[in-house]
Amino acid sequence: MRFKTTVIARLALRNLRRQARRSLLTAASMIAGSALLIFSLILGDGTHEQWIDSAVRMADGHLSILSPRFRASRALKDRMPAESRAAVEQALRQGGIPGEIRAVAPRLAVTGMASSAAGARPARILGVEPAGEAAFSLLDEKLQQGRYLRPGDRLAAYVGIGLLEALDLRLGSKFVLTAQDAGGEIAGQLVRVVGTFRTGIPEADRSLLHIPLSTAGAWLGCSGDVTSLGLLLENSQQVPQARRSLQQRLSETHGTEALLALSWRESLPELDAAVKIDDFSNYLFQGILFSIIALGIVNTVLMSVMYRRREFGVLQALGLTPGQSASLVLVEGLILTVLSGTIGIALGLSVTWFLWGEGLDLSSMMDNEWTFSGVVMDPVVVPRFRVARMVQGLSFIFLIGMLASLYPALRAMRIDVAETMKFER
Amino acid sequence: MGNPALQTEAVWKVFHQEAEKVRAVRGVTLTIQPGEFVVLAGPSGSGKTTLLNLIGGLTRPTDGRVWVDGLELTRMSSRELARMRLEKLGFIFQSYNLLPVLSALENAEFPLLLRGLERGQREHRVRELFQRTGLAGLEHRRPGKLSGGQQQRVAVIRAVVGEPALVLADEPTANLDSAASDILLTVMEELNRDLGTTFLFATHDSRLMERSRRLIHLVDGQIASDQWQEPRRES
Ligand SMILES: Nc1ncnc2c1ncn2[C@@H]1O[C@H](COP(=O)(O)OP(=O)(O)OP(=O)(O)O)[C@@H](O)[C@H]1O
Ligand SMILES: [Mg+2]
Repeated sequence: MRFKTTVIARLALRNLRRQARRSLLTAASMIAGSALLIFSLILGDGTHEQWIDSAVRMADGHLSILSPRFRASRALKDRMPAESRAAVEQALRQGGIPGEIRAVAPRLAVTGMASSAAGARPARILGVEPAGEAAFSLLDEKLQQGRYLRPGDRLAAYVGIGLLEALDLRLGSKFVLTAQDAGGEIAGQLVRVVGTFRTGIPEADRSLLHIPLSTAGAWLGCSGDVTSLGLLLENSQQVPQARRSLQQRLSETHGTEALLALSWRESLPELDAAVKIDDFSNYLFQGILFSIIALGIVNTVLMSVMYRRREFGVLQALGLTPGQSASLVLVEGLILTVLSGTIGIALGLSVTWFLWGEGLDLSSMMDNEWTFSGVVMDPVVVPRFRVARMVQGLSFIFLIGMLASLYPALRAMRIDVAETMKFER
Repeated sequence: MGNPALQTEAVWKVFHQEAEKVRAVRGVTLTIQPGEFVVLAGPSGSGKTTLLNLIGGLTRPTDGRVWVDGLELTRMSSRELARMRLEKLGFIFQSYNLLPVLSALENAEFPLLLRGLERGQREHRVRELFQRTGLAGLEHRRPGKLSGGQQQRVAVIRAVVGEPALVLADEPTANLDSAASDILLTVMEELNRDLGTTFLFATHDSRLMERSRRLIHLVDGQIASDQWQEPRRES
């Protein structure tokens, strides 16, 4: 059997070489296709990573920890008490959670009103720890005037440009926040504008503001408590594992009243859907492209079978079984596709690496700012090289080669030997 | 004595050509013993090729039975038939039919390669046959670089190299001129004499008929005569 395998491989290789021109043409389309495949996969992953990174940093992080009731109600009464928060933070500090935690953001979120002499506006008020939040969020980078919050700030507020204008405020102006406190009473808090931001997201610019967590806690009568803890990981790939392990910890320490670890897929379902749709359209495009390439392979392999009908007849007369004839064709098709596919992937990887390893600037292709569900995107996409993608690409190419050779193999198998010998020259 | 190299019993082959029935082989019963050199003669369309295909397991009989070296072909699967061909039969075709991507040597040793013989064993046997057939020195040429007569001698080596029970040759000299035909026939006769290879040899060529010891005439798919004769030696 070992010998037959080598015989078949040798014949396959020689046959490919005999039809070098046709083989090369087919190989060229496969090389180009698989280079494009891997390029679009790693660029797509880079783009998605960027979407995710920007979006989670404007929202609740890759993972956010909160009580299940708060998830539904968004009400202050369902917050995470200081002891729970301390336990979680302790667990995070202990380590042992897979993935790398870049930043932790404890937050106390409440909706209320912001009012000045010019009027009152609804406001999304976020009590944050200035240092941690600056590392976590992108909001501090959207600074227009003044500065972001600093540790030690007390009555400071970092305010969206829209809200600022609506309330006719400027840097240093004072205004009043009112909201329902932990006891259910309406409570007011005077703050002062220390900085303003513009995100480009109208909703955020019109209503969002950050104040120090300690100020929020004192005002709302729940010092030390938070509504959520946001975690920023090194990248989105680390999320599933980190989440599983974290959720397990939370269940162990908190029993039935366990806190939830929500991934960005759950907290930002529209982003999740967008990534999936984009992946799908990429797969669809690749599917169409490879169907065309596969037809080329089918054509090449089938032509070579039909052209060699007599040869297959001879081989079978000499004692090659129909199955072995079929495998000869399969091996030919597979060598052609896998070899050229591998070359294509290597080519795609190296070209992407050398030309755009640091990032591919797409700004020339966009007339405007590129926003995604309200988040302004960096036009420079950094490709993401992942082994899983290469394995995926290669398996896909192998599958294509297999599928494309199947029909020609069947034809070779079904050759009527007596028939092929009949038209002797 | 062992099995006959070939035995057929009332073999029929009927082709259905559109509405017509073509009875290509009609009840052929035939036995060939090991070591025989049999010429199968007959006009065009008499069923020579069809009979050889039936014996080779390349075509299934409509009726009747075929044994090669004692193995009955009729009930074999196509896989088993392939195996039988590999182990029991050699084929020589009219148009050489060497594999163009293999050298003369590789073509000649192909059946041994398929049987899984070690390189050393293969080479020894094949080189000896190249010597014997006057092809020494041409081992590494591709078929395209050999004359028709040389190609056909390579095909003969390929057919006999595995020491098959029976070699089927369908008009192997039809594409050769008379000189090349003579050489080929001489080679086959020598192989028959020296190695005891059994040949069944279909031909039109009356000169070749004269040189065989046993001559079977096929007419309209039936054996018209089966004679033993004193072969005329080549001058
Ligand atoms: N596949 C087929 N379908 C229909 N009829 C066939 C088929 N093969 C052979 N025949 C017919 O069977 C008969 C015998 O053909 P065969 O090829 O065996 O003759 P032959 O003796 O080899 O002739 P030749 O000397 O010309 O090679 C012919 O009438 C031929 O037309
Ligand atoms: Mg014939």
